[in-house]
Order: sequence, then C-alpha cells, then structure tokens
Amino acid sequence: MSTNRPVGPTPPPGAAGPVGLAARQAALVAALVAGAPLPAGFATDRVDAARRALLRKRAGEVARHWPLLAAGLGDAWPATFAGWAAGRPTAGSLRDGWDLARALRDRGTLPQLGAEELAAREAAHRYDGRNPPRRRRLPALARSGDAVALQLAGRVRLLRPTRR
Amino acid sequence: MTRPQGVGIGWRPEIAGFVAELPGLRFVEVVAESLAPDGPLPPGLAALRERDVTVVPHGVRLSLGGAEPVDPARVTHLARVAELVDAPLVSEHIAFVRAGGLEAGHLLPLPRTREAVAAVTANVRRAQQELPVPLALEPIAALFDWPDDELDEADFLTEILDATDTELLLDVANVYANARNRGRDPQALLDRLPLDRIAYVHVAGGAEHGGLYHDTHTDPVPTEVLELLGALCAGRRPPPLLLERDGHYPPADVLRAELDALATAAGHPVVT
Amino acid sequence: MNTLAAAGDTWGIPGPLFLKLYLLVAVVAVVGVLVHRRRTAAGPDAVGADQLGPQQVAYLNGGDQLAVWAALGGLRGAGAIDVQPDRRLIAVGPTPSGVTPLDHAIRHAARQPVAARELRRDAGVARALEQLRQGLEQRGLLIDADGVRALRRGRNLLLVLLALGVVRLVSGLVNGRPVGWLLLALAGLGVAFALVARTPRRTRTANVMMRRLRSSNHHLAPDTAPAYATYGPAGAAMGVALFGTVSLYALDPGFAAQAEIQRQALNASSGSGYTGSSGVTCGGGTSSGDSGSSCGGGSSCGGGGGCGGGGCGG
Repeated sequence: MSTNRPVGPTPPPGAAGPVGLAARQAALVAALVAGAPLPAGFATDRVDAARRALLRKRAGEVARHWPLLAAGLGDAWPATFAGWAAGRPTAGSLRDGWDLARALRDRGTLPQLGAEELAAREAAHRYDGRNPPRRRRLPALARSGDAVALQLAGRVRLLRPTRR
Repeated sequence: MTRPQGVGIGWRPEIAGFVAELPGLRFVEVVAESLAPDGPLPPGLAALRERDVTVVPHGVRLSLGGAEPVDPARVTHLARVAELVDAPLVSEHIAFVRAGGLEAGHLLPLPRTREAVAAVTANVRRAQQELPVPLALEPIAALFDWPDDELDEADFLTEILDATDTELLLDVANVYANARNRGRDPQALLDRLPLDRIAYVHVAGGAEHGGLYHDTHTDPVPTEVLELLGALCAGRRPPPLLLERDGHYPPADVLRAELDALATAAGHPVVT
Repeated sequence: MNTLAAAGDTWGIPGPLFLKLYLLVAVVAVVGVLVHRRRTAAGPDAVGADQLGPQQVAYLNGGDQLAVWAALGGLRGAGAIDVQPDRRLIAVGPTPSGVTPLDHAIRHAARQPVAARELRRDAGVARALEQLRQGLEQRGLLIDADGVRALRRGRNLLLVLLALGVVRLVSGLVNGRPVGWLLLALAGLGVAFALVARTPRRTRTANVMMRRLRSSNHHLAPDTAPAYATYGPAGAAMGVALFGTVSLYALDPGFAAQAEIQRQALNASSGSGYTGSSGVTCGGGTSSGDSGSSCGGGSSCGGGGGCGGGGCGG
C-alpha cells in the first residue's frame, strides 16, 4: 500500500456527509472542538463525554501555563474555562490562557491575580491575538486593570500590584 | 541503547526529583515533543542517562492515524530526540490528533476500517524510513467508536502491526477502559491481542465519570487494572512495565507503593 | 632628587617622599586586609550540604525574612497554617511531625491571627531566627558579628588611606605640583577598596554549598511546576529557600496572594531544557509545522504534564 488514501470498501451510508477518511476525520474534529454538528452515526452521549473530558484536560493544561489566573478564579476555574473554550479550537495552552485573560479583562471579571499575571506577560511579550507571542526587545509598560508591569532588558517588575 | 526492562515510570519535570531517587530504576519514558531536538536534556533526564537508565521517547502528536501524510518535521524531531537520548526504540499511538487544520488536543480513535489500516500503515512506513530505531505502536483508550467499524479491535491492531512490522506498546489500562466502556470482558479482549509483539506495557490510573471509565493518568491505578496486568504476566516472561502519571501527583510514598504494586503484579524486582 | 622640604611642597613633605611612604603603607594595608579577609571568609574545609535543613539554607540565601518564608512554605505544605479573609495567618490543625524551633515559633505566633510580614518581629520567632543564625555561625557558614566587625575595620582602613591620598592629590593640584604617580597609586588603592567594599555574610564554604544545593535541587525550580505533594513539606520549604517566594506562589498562589507575601524570584533557572515548562518561553522544536499554533498547541496527553482529570486515552 503506497498511497495513504486508497479507495476502500467504505460505503458512505447514504446520508449526506463527508466521504473519505480525511473529510470524515475533519468533520469529527470540528464537531469536537469547533462546535460543528456531529456527523451521523456517532453515539452523541459518548462524543459529548469525550468533549467534556477534552475541556477538562485543556483547563488543566492552561492552568499550568497560567497558574495565577487559575488560582484567582479558584473553584470557578474549570467552569469559566470550559464556558470560554467550548466550540473554540485550541491555539495552544499559552495563547488560550492569554485570550481568556483578555476576554475576562474586557468583561471586567478578570481576578486580581490574573490581572497581575496578564500585565507581567504583556510587558515581556507582544501578542496580537493571531500570531504566536514574541518577546519584546525594548522596555515596555503593560497595564491590566490596576496592575502595572514594567519590563526592562527582559526582567519584569510589577510596579503597582493590584490593591488587594 | 539497552532495551526497556523491569518497572519504569514516565519522566515528567514535575516529579524529576522523585524519579531521580528511585534506586532500582532502569527505564523511563519521556514525552518526545517536550524535548528540544538539539538538547540540552533537562538536568534530571541527563542525570538518568549518566546512570545508563534507558530513555524511550514517546510521541503524542505525530497523528499517525491521520488521513493526511504524517508531518515530516515531526518525524525528524522524533528521530533527533531518539538519537539525543540514545533510545533503543520510540513509541507512538494508533490515533489521530488533528484534521482539517484543527488540533483536537486529544488522541482520537480511528474507524476500524481497511481504509484506516491503509492510512496508518502508510504513515508508519513514512516514519520508519527516517527513524533510527524501531517504532512501537500503542492502541488508545477511546470513549466512542465510529459508526462503520469493519474490524474488531484485536483484528484492527493485528493487521496494522503485521503490515508495518512494528512492536506493540500495550496499555493494559486502555484495554480495561475500552472493554469496560463497551460492556465487554477485558480479559477476553486481552487474550485476542497480538501479545507476542509486546515491546513494553503501559499502566495508568483512571476514574469513572458519568458511568464511563476515563483513562485520566491523574488517578490511582484501579485494582481491576492491576489484576489484568497480573493475568497478562502470568505464565509468560513478564514484559517491561511503565507507570504513566500526568498530574495530581500524590505524595512520594503513594507513588512508590504504586510502583511496588506493579512490580509485584508482574514479578519484577521492586525499583523503589 | 631634592629630599629637603622646599617651600612649595604640599604640607611641607616633598612629593617623592610622601609617595614612597604612602605606597609602603598602602601595600602593607591592602595585603593585610586581603589576607585577613581571605582567612575570615574561608569557612571550614567541608560541611555536608545534605546536613542543612531548608530553613538554614534559606537563612544563608536571604537572611531572616527568607527563613520565615521557607518555614511558611513547609507549614503550608503540611496544612498547618491558613490565611483568613482579613489576610492574616492562623495556625490550624495539629503540630506536624518534625517541626523545627522556627516552625514552632511561627505556629505559636499564629495562634492569634498575625500578618505574614509581622512574623519576624514576633519575639519567639526572632529568638528562633537568632538560634538559626548562631547555628550557622558555629558551623562556619556565616561570618559572626566579630568577624564582620573585623572585616569592616579593614575596609575602613583602606577608606581612610584612600581619603588621605585624595586630599593630598587635591592639595597637590591646587599647588600646581605633579600628581601623576599619586594618581596611579590611588587608582590601585581604589581597586583594592572596591574588592572589599561589600562585607560578606556567607563564608566561601557556604557559597560552594549553595551552588551545589541549587543544582542538586533543580527539580524544585518553580518553572518546572514541581509536584509539591510528592516532594512533601520539606520540598516546598527547600524550594522557597533556594528560589524565593515565587515558589510559594507555585505551591499555593491563592494562599501566597491572600497573605500578601511579596513575590520574589531568586536564582531563576533559565533554559530548563523542557519545552513544556510553565514559563512563557516557547522553546524547543515542538512548534514546527503546527497549523496556527505555537508552543506545543493543544498538546496531547502528557505533553508537559497534566491530563487534568480528563481522559488521556494514551
């Protein structure tokens, strides 16, 4: 077998749906992470269980990259993350946490610890929300809520920790 | 370049200090994607290499089961990492993790069709051409099946291993999870697998959520999985075992007890 | 060379004579001070690093305050201290086994709610810290008060010589005398002074030991997200001792923030060689060819740890 997509004996069972392994895999992933409808024939409850398990796992991974954000949300972290991430494909744990922190900030619900973590990150890195974050070469000041972080020569200092 | 032997543990930076203190340890596994291909190795792993502990790179993101050809850059990375740790073999999963430009963030099951067998086979052969060492394949735990399976799990696995001449990385917790979640007998599933191809065996913990058994790697190894392991090792030379733990790390005593339980179930010397 | 005092000589001492005397005194003083300092700061030949507890290491690394934070890390790891909504600490539960006098003093101080930064001013805690310091001095890891005083005297001697030379230099300049050689001598003395300007507290033995401890405890560096539950309270305390209160934030961010403990990173390790680390760096080769993701986007089971209770499947 030299081709990776041979014409197999897999008949598309009449239903309108993607044909061929590549298209069917893409449809399944889209249903799992991007809110697309589930292709016909799958056990809905099982796929839902997998989707929830995936969100739990992602929440754990993002918490590892953003420990203060997760700690600031405390018991609300898993639900907050799952609510934000459902139907949103991952851009990697670092960027997922970053996007979530910004979304919470814009909503005014970013906890203080998370604001400090976000300010420190934004002082050290430039992140446009679409491309991977890049380390800043020049000194920078970043503000998130009350938290202000200053980065000089790669070292980040919180100038005004949030008043707690 | 020593083959895996005895009882090992998945090396993670979080528990590097614990792993470093295991006197009898001869073998660990490391997530291949977590290592830089040109080194340096994390200090804890480098120290294990100096002790001549075998390190097996375990890939999690090659997506060998993807319908698209496997990404050559990822294969190159795995090959470089294998050379970096002087590995006797590397391992990956029979699964796909991305499709249509989206990352699933998860190991997803394949439809057990001949088309899927062909896709995996083609990707494994591509990888084998560049890998400096043998590749072992691991069947995953799946919470759901595809609607149009043509083969059962044992036949699907055997066809792939035969077609690619690869070794088996058998995860007894996955066997337990799959059989249980399908309402079948884990022992019956185990007996039908190509056990003569085993390179080494994964053991991991899990927990039940909503009536389904989840292979979490963050919970203790259940008694049922240990029993299945005992059955696997009974009457044959016990294969090398590897405990996978990926989070919610317990106190050192608990982790040591779990390693001892593995050794006891298989008849291996204890490593703690 | 005219060695008689001439009318134009500064302070009536001819330049060459002053220079000779000054150089002689300066060389003797510098050699004496350096030799004395070398002896005083040497420390004993060998002290086993594994004989030191986390609080002793913390004291060596950051004095009173870090020793208190390290003790707090151990107590928190053992579940023996909590923080109230009013941000003050309170002792909880039974006394954990294997507590040190400092642990005991902190628990005692926190029978009544107490602010974290007030702890070191508590009389019992201060006594325990004093004990800790004396123990380290007796083992030759810290230079005791007499030693510090002697080191400062030596430094001050060089400072006086330096000042004298500067005054002579200024006078010479005012009188229009040549000052080139004096300037050169002053530069040398200045360098010697710079070498001894800071009075060390740790002996060289202690410095060597700290370096060794840092590398043998690399697994406690906060950027590897250490499994503190596995390493136990002593591991948590040692993490704080070696790497600062940033370890307290890694251990229990909610507690550390609520207790208003200043976040501080000491000897941050860089380049852990593991790309799954919790730092913001996206190193290594894992980002190759990812469609629209960096830093190991959506890593599958185990990549950097943590299946987060979800179903790993691997």
